[in-house]
Amino acid sequence: MIAVLTSKLFFRAVLVINAILVLLPVFFLFNSALRETNSFASNPFALARDPHWENFQQVWSDGEFASYLKNSIIVTGGSLVVILICALGAGFILGRYNFKGNAIIFGFILTGMLIPAKLAILPLFIQLKWMNLLDSHIGLILVYASGALPAAVFIMSGFFRSLPSDLDNAARIDGASEFQLLTRVLAPLVRPGMAIVAIYSAIPIWNDFFLPLVFLQSPENKTIMQGLTVFFGQYASQWGVLFAGLTMAALPLIVLYLVLSEQFIKGLTAGAVKG
Amino acid sequence: MSVSGLKREQRKYIAFLLAPAILVILVFTTVPAVTTLSYAFFKWEGFQRGGFAGLANFQRLFEYPFKDQFLMALRHNVLVFIAIMILQTSFGLLIAYSLFQLKRGQRFFRTVTFLPVIFSLVVVGYMWQVMLDPYYGPINMIINDLGFESFAKPWLGSTSTALPTLVFINLWRWVGFPAIIFLAGLNAINQEYLEAARIDGATEGQIFRKIMFPLLAPSMTIITILTFIGAFEWFDLPFVLGGSNGNPAGATDTLALMFYRLSFGSVDSNANEVGVGSALGVFIFVIVGLGAAVGQHLLRKREVEQ
Amino acid sequence: MKIASRRFRGLVAAAVAVSAIAVPVITALPASANTELTFWSWRTEDKAFYEGQVAKFEAKNPGIKVKFTPYLNTDYNAIVSTALTAGKGPDIIQMRPYGGMANLSDAGNFLALTTKDVPALGKLQAGILAGAQGYLDKKQYGYPYAISAMGIFYNPDMLAMAGVKALPTNWDQLMNAFKKVKAAGMLPLGNAGGNGPALEQLHASVGPTFYGGTQFFNDVAAGKKTFTDKAYVASLKAVKDLVPYMPAGFEGIDYNTARGLFANEKAAFYIGGNYELGYFRSLNPSLQAGWIPPVAKVPGAKKYVSTWADGAYAINAKTANKAAALKFLNFLASKDFGQALVDEIAFIPTAPYVKITDPVVKAINSGRSSLGTPFLNVVGFRYATPTSSNILQPGFQKLITGAITPEQLAKDVQTAVASWYAPQKGKS
Repeated sequence: MIAVLTSKLFFRAVLVINAILVLLPVFFLFNSALRETNSFASNPFALARDPHWENFQQVWSDGEFASYLKNSIIVTGGSLVVILICALGAGFILGRYNFKGNAIIFGFILTGMLIPAKLAILPLFIQLKWMNLLDSHIGLILVYASGALPAAVFIMSGFFRSLPSDLDNAARIDGASEFQLLTRVLAPLVRPGMAIVAIYSAIPIWNDFFLPLVFLQSPENKTIMQGLTVFFGQYASQWGVLFAGLTMAALPLIVLYLVLSEQFIKGLTAGAVKG
Repeated sequence: MSVSGLKREQRKYIAFLLAPAILVILVFTTVPAVTTLSYAFFKWEGFQRGGFAGLANFQRLFEYPFKDQFLMALRHNVLVFIAIMILQTSFGLLIAYSLFQLKRGQRFFRTVTFLPVIFSLVVVGYMWQVMLDPYYGPINMIINDLGFESFAKPWLGSTSTALPTLVFINLWRWVGFPAIIFLAGLNAINQEYLEAARIDGATEGQIFRKIMFPLLAPSMTIITILTFIGAFEWFDLPFVLGGSNGNPAGATDTLALMFYRLSFGSVDSNANEVGVGSALGVFIFVIVGLGAAVGQHLLRKREVEQ
Repeated sequence: MKIASRRFRGLVAAAVAVSAIAVPVITALPASANTELTFWSWRTEDKAFYEGQVAKFEAKNPGIKVKFTPYLNTDYNAIVSTALTAGKGPDIIQMRPYGGMANLSDAGNFLALTTKDVPALGKLQAGILAGAQGYLDKKQYGYPYAISAMGIFYNPDMLAMAGVKALPTNWDQLMNAFKKVKAAGMLPLGNAGGNGPALEQLHASVGPTFYGGTQFFNDVAAGKKTFTDKAYVASLKAVKDLVPYMPAGFEGIDYNTARGLFANEKAAFYIGGNYELGYFRSLNPSLQAGWIPPVAKVPGAKKYVSTWADGAYAINAKTANKAAALKFLNFLASKDFGQALVDEIAFIPTAPYVKITDPVVKAINSGRSSLGTPFLNVVGFRYATPTSSNILQPGFQKLITGAITPEQLAKDVQTAVASWYAPQKGKS
């Protein structure tokens, strides 16, 4: 009996320690954003007693964060649109139709998962240049979409496959075309899958700094994580402003996560967890 | 649903629906990947491709000055894989098991556990860089206050502690991921087996060893493979914290960082070596591909069907 | 079926049309009546200064707007080279000196400048002009705007508190000064080991007196001497001898923190380039700093101040706004801009007839003109990889922790340079 209690206590302790280790740095991040830079030398952990909201103001105007944020939204949003449209179509076909090339095409798409964009960065650079898509959001969107599609198609095809096949026949008997079958009947049923694909794809795209570093040259095109690297160089010794910048960059996802944590968890581990 | 049973019109729609995905992947993943592998066989002047070079680039990779960098980077990747595999898997499992045992508050702890995974590596990197600042950073200040002055090292700046520190930061950021996967694996175990075992008088320890652990094999497979790929393609965190040269003095250099350096040049001079870089890229691709395939094969054998 | 197929085709057509419109909309820059020039630099520290100067230029040149964008020093080269290769480079480019961007200039990325385009070029000495020329073809690709010089900054108040009566003129006196400061409970040296380039600059300050200044430079450049020469090894060892006086945890203390220690009057000395003065003052406007040239290795030996043309302004060969870019470049080469450079960020401008009133900058300038010697690594050995800096920057980090000996480091440098520098080929 005592053993059971102790072990339950032990597991709770593990989780509490883990929570502290996770939350303390995050708290430090938020707290520091509100402090005055010079106050750090004396006490790094002091609570921000009178919050210096002007740190955020400085980040917004001086740090050009408004522009970075806008660009990140455009790039991530645009990528999601492309990914969802392509994955919906491909997942539908691969999940519900048997034809000779099905397995091959499916395999082809899946091996895409093994190829990281980083290794192919130079040909991608030269290719985008040739297509006149360098320093453009469109080029970046297409590269991101291509990287996210294998997993997205995998997930969507799984969802489509799980829908009862009678639906198809019923719809066809009613006179629906294949296209209507997809858009009117089946797509609404795989919305949870689309949500998972959206989260699974959007997070790494929003968080990425490397592809924008290589593909976006003009300052007005930069995304938020890329802008953060420039920002860090400029404000490296002004910790208050620096932390405000880090906080602003991290906040959108944190807020979304706290609201939709279950979906996030399901989404981000979708590729790895069976069922 | 068999395609041959459909009319021509319908088959066209099928092609339409399939084409965009295939096209995008083909143009922006497959073609560049194949091209990158081909680059290794040519001579390069900056970004201009020269004549055919056969295996010369691969040979140069093993000559001065690349050989030492390459071997050191490779060593780092191997060490990092081993460290991450051991630490992340064991802590992940511990946390997952703890979550599994908990009835109250599971949702809160689950949310907290997974929180660092959604942070960008840029934010994580810079955040920890400030916290680990040897002079003004809170971590060293706390260590000093507690009286352990000798432990207040320059964590990211010392060649002996830089890589382990990066592994620690990586652990902080990623441990939630295996934890959640293991948790899903545990939740998927048929409760009846566990109940039956308890009724038979098995201790929790025995239940874990004999029932849960073997049934977690699929999760282990996924985690091992993903960790392997991640460790050998490790780039973001070392780049943010150590720059493309693997500061300090190459202590945090990785194969991917070396690839970046060779492709784009380093800090004080622009001279890049695309040919050698592509040869390195081929090498990385082969390691990752082989590792994933072999791992998949070996680990699948271990998996037990429920 | 027919109706559905038509509708479907219509949808596809609409999608294509929408994206055809959306593509240029998303990627188009806002149209402007002005000519807009983009100007990139690695000096994030000087952003406020450049923006002020840009405002002055724009006031005198309505119709031309200049956007100044600094980048992180460590990323600058990669960013510029990918941008130029992409055909998306800026109009005005801050250029690294000597070999730092030689392969970019040799690849034709920069506009070759003549004295007709930029008359101010005619007033500069050959050694300065060399800082912005191509390696393979000696065309002038940039206007070198500043001369940098290495030396020793000191804090007179802290030295007084430590009882250091006279400023050191040789190595022994310097070590004694450090010891006195340490004995008084203060930090002697702000320099630290977290940043390879900073260590290289430290060596450029204290090293030349050990390796033999300009004579050695000429000998190595001609292949008469090698880097394994005893004198050079001694210069490397000198860096190691400074370690006991560096801050605690010096291995990991980064560049900004190290400079901050001196600026915030926590360290009595900082050994580095004149360009640090502006940064010190921006952190602590009330700082009273002094400057002495690097000390002689023994009493009576020659002192040397490593100096070089540090950075130039270049014009993108593919710029769409050549006339406007040249106007701006001439502004950057003007006496007024040079005066602002020295008055506001304590740089030593190349522009002649600039009045230097700041006593510290005056001291530095006279030090460099009477004791100048070329900054060995930057001036001579950055034209191909591995550069001597490639070896020395991480090498110094290993040297100060004892992971490598000065002899071994010297050997590594020699191997590196000998692998591509013709007069040294085959020598070890």
